[in-house]
Parts: sequence; C-alpha cells; structure tokens
Amino acid sequence: MNAATPPRLQPQAPRDEAYNFAYLDEQTKRMIRRGLLKAVAIPGYQVPFGGREMPLPYGWGTGGMQLTAAILGAEDVLKVIDQGADDTTNAVSIRRFFARTAGVATTERTPEATIIQTRHRIPETPLHADQIMVYQVPIPEPLRFIEPSETETRTMHALNDYGVMHVKLYEDIATFGHIATAYAYPVTVDERYVMDPSPIPKFDNPKLDMSPALMLFGAGREKRLYAVPPFTRVTSLDFEDHPFEVQKWEHNCAICGSHESFLDELILDDQGTQSFVCSDTDYCAQRVSQGRAAQ
Amino acid sequence: MSTSLATQSLPASLLQPAFTDPVLDAQRSFRAALRALAGPGVAQSLLAMQTPPHLEGLAAASHALCLALLDIDTPLWLAPKFDTQTIRANLTFHCGCPIVSDRQNARFALLDDSQLHDLSGFDLGNDRYPDQSCTLLVQLPSLQGGTQLAWRGPGIESKNHVSLPLQEAFWQERESRNDFPRGIDVFFVAGSELLGLPRSTQVLFKPQPSSLQPSSPQPSTGAV
Repeated sequence: MNAATPPRLQPQAPRDEAYNFAYLDEQTKRMIRRGLLKAVAIPGYQVPFGGREMPLPYGWGTGGMQLTAAILGAEDVLKVIDQGADDTTNAVSIRRFFARTAGVATTERTPEATIIQTRHRIPETPLHADQIMVYQVPIPEPLRFIEPSETETRTMHALNDYGVMHVKLYEDIATFGHIATAYAYPVTVDERYVMDPSPIPKFDNPKLDMSPALMLFGAGREKRLYAVPPFTRVTSLDFEDHPFEVQKWEHNCAICGSHESFLDELILDDQGTQSFVCSDTDYCAQRVSQGRAAQ
Repeated sequence: MSTSLATQSLPASLLQPAFTDPVLDAQRSFRAALRALAGPGVAQSLLAMQTPPHLEGLAAASHALCLALLDIDTPLWLAPKFDTQTIRANLTFHCGCPIVSDRQNARFALLDDSQLHDLSGFDLGNDRYPDQSCTLLVQLPSLQGGTQLAWRGPGIESKNHVSLPLQEAFWQERESRNDFPRGIDVFFVAGSELLGLPRSTQVLFKPQPSSLQPSSPQPSTGAV
C-alpha cells in the first residue's frame, strides 16, 4: 500500500463546470486573499477571516482547503499529503476535490508541485522558492491551552507577552526531565509573534526556518489564517540548558532504509513486533526507485 | 454608500471592459501580489494577456490589482490625480467598492508620487488587529532610477538592493508610521510591474556616497 508501489498516474479529469473555479465564490476568495496579504506582511500574526462552510466537516482540512482554493490557479500542480502520505483518505479526497472543481493537475512528487496542502508534515525533500505550503490547522492559537480567552490571548500577542509559554515548557522539564512537547511545538517568527506551526512533529520545525517556500496556515473552525514568508527566521522556543531537540530513531525505514526521515511505527502482529517506515511516502518511493535504478 | 450615487448619473460610455477572464486573471494578479509581498523588493510582472484593457490614468498593474482585490468590503481612497470620472465609474462598477474622501476609512488607497511626503490619516491597524491597516497602491513612472537602498527582513534571503525613485520624505514618513506590528503595506506599481514593501521590511540607509571613503564595493557577505 505504501512506498513500495510506484505512484499511480492521476488521470486528468475535466473541470466540473457546475462549480465556480476551485469551489469558492469570487468574493470569498478576495476576502481570503486580502487576509493572506496581511498575513504575509505580519509574519506569524493570526488574521481573522470569514471562514465558509465547506462540503466536509471541520477537522478534515476546511481551513487549508479555503486557502488552497483562494490561491489556486489553472497552471498550478497540487500535491496533498496527510501525515506525510499521498494515499490516505484525507489526501486523496482533497486532491480529487480540487481536480474536479478546478481541473488542476495533481501530483505525488514533491519537487513537481507548486502548491502542497499538508496535514501535519513537511516533506523530507527540500522545498524550492516557487512552492507554497498550505497547512491545515486545528487550533491556531499557541496560547490557548494556557489562556482560554481569545480577548486575553490577543492582548498577550499585542503586548509581546509570552512568558507563559516558557512556563509550560518548564513544567514539562520539571515533570519529565525534558521538554515533552513532541508536536505543535511553539515557535517564534521573526523574533516577534509566537506561532503554532500546526501539529507537525517538532522534527519538522527546523524546516520552517529560512525556508525558500512560502508557508500559509489555515484554521477553518477557528477562522484564522497566518503565514511565514520565505527566508524568515523561525526559532523553536527552548532554554539555554534545555536546547530544542528533534526526535531521533535507532531504526531505519523498513522499505527504503532511510535513517534521516521521520519514521512511523507499525505493529505487525499480536506479539507487538514493530517495524518502522517513512511517514513521507513520496520520499520513500523515490529512494526505493533510485535504489532499484542503481542496481 | 452615498458616495457611489454620483456614478449613477455618469454616462455609460465611460465604462470599459475589465478582465477578459474575471476568475483566472484576478487569481494571477493576486498571485503576483502575493509573490511581491512575500519577496519584498523583487519586481513582479503581469503578462499583457492577463491585464485588463487600458483605463485612462491607471497603469496596467494598478488596474489589475484594483480589480483583483477590491470589492464592496474595501473602501477606496483616491489621490486627486486618480479621482477622475472614468476611474470612479469603472472601479465602482466593476469592483463595487465605496470611494471615500476620508483617508481614515479607507482599506485601500491609490496614490501617485505627489502624495508620498504625507501619509497621515491612513489606518495603521492597532496592536490587537494590525491587519486592519490600509494597503497603499503607489503608482510610479518607473520602479528604478532612485537612490539604491538595501532591504532586509522576512522574504529576503540576505539583502535586496532596490532603487525606487522616491524622495527621502517618503522613507521618513514610513519610518515614523511603522511601529511593528502596526504599519503600512505598500505595492509600488509602474506599467505592468509591481513591487511589494510590507511593514516587516527594514530599509537600510547607507552612508551617503559624498563622504570620503568610496562606497561602491558591496560587502558581498553570503552569510545567511
């Protein structure tokens, strides 16, 4: 099911003319586009937007889809990943949604894509300057777990008052001896706004820093969007004596043998036999095909 | 809305067609604007086939940005140079945007270079909602020919050298009104080109070349 099989070619279906291009109406797109321009001008700041009801429930990527719909053009090549995989339900259905409503080309190959909508991973293959990443975000407010009031968190952002974030990380250290936050690890964008990078594993946080690609984040239920422009400093919060660290594995990918990528654990039988495979299926498949070509 | 009543008495002969493909041409103009703002100081060009027909007084890229970004939710302020019957009639018809005489109420403003010494009155947003600031569309004769300045900040790998033909007064105005996260975002437009200057960009003023040491050799520090 995974990287061992070559990616299927996506047949290019004609656009369904019953829908406006990319589903959303033009006025909604303009509203989101204006929000995106402000988000880019104020890196890491959460811009409120008039989120629309999409033909799938909140939690399935409605925020990311609205941003994708607002930026998508006829010439774009769209890739959609869900936890790194191109072939899971969420990824397949969102890709088919835009293939049908916008008639755009889709791909599973990271370097070929111009827009990559993602749920909770950044591809292992380095991004390039003409790519836009669109993240699906469940809870955009990094301070929400500490301060439930939106009025308060907005004031804290306004006053650059982020001391509580370090308290939260410190409590991790006091309880577990290390910073136990493993995903949605808070970052500071361009030394100003503290931002939730969406629930990507902290393994992916360093890829946000000075990335040549534009990063856009959309939260459908919370109706917030934010952005990290290319070549922007993104630092993960930490302490001098407990510096930020990413996950490491003792295992290699069972399919491609990679020791550098983010690995998913698979349980193979009732005895708990483990196996580890790359979460990024395209990266894994490319390594396998390169390995075959080299033989 | 009362401001748009005036257009009802305008002759229909002033109206011109807008984008050939309203959906995709607006999307292309927006993507150029997004690229411009995400890479400050790098000029983006709109292709002739995706810009709207010529509208008297507006550069092709200004016209395209207006059609792509303005609608009933975006009150527009026009500098006197652009406050013509033709521009009013076409923008109110195609965009439906209210045209306001008060800078404070404008979400977008269309300016020429005679206005840049005074940017007072435009909404800079507030600390809680800095996104509510006004966006300036500044139409210039050219995007080159001025003093070369180095730009730095988000969207710029190390430094971008930009020589917009602007007076010192503009930079002082911008400096005095930029209190990050509050501030002004600008699109400079000339012909079919546009160039973004978001509030996050720092503009470095090099020492004047009139000083004794020659300032020509660029320190090419590749360090990122």
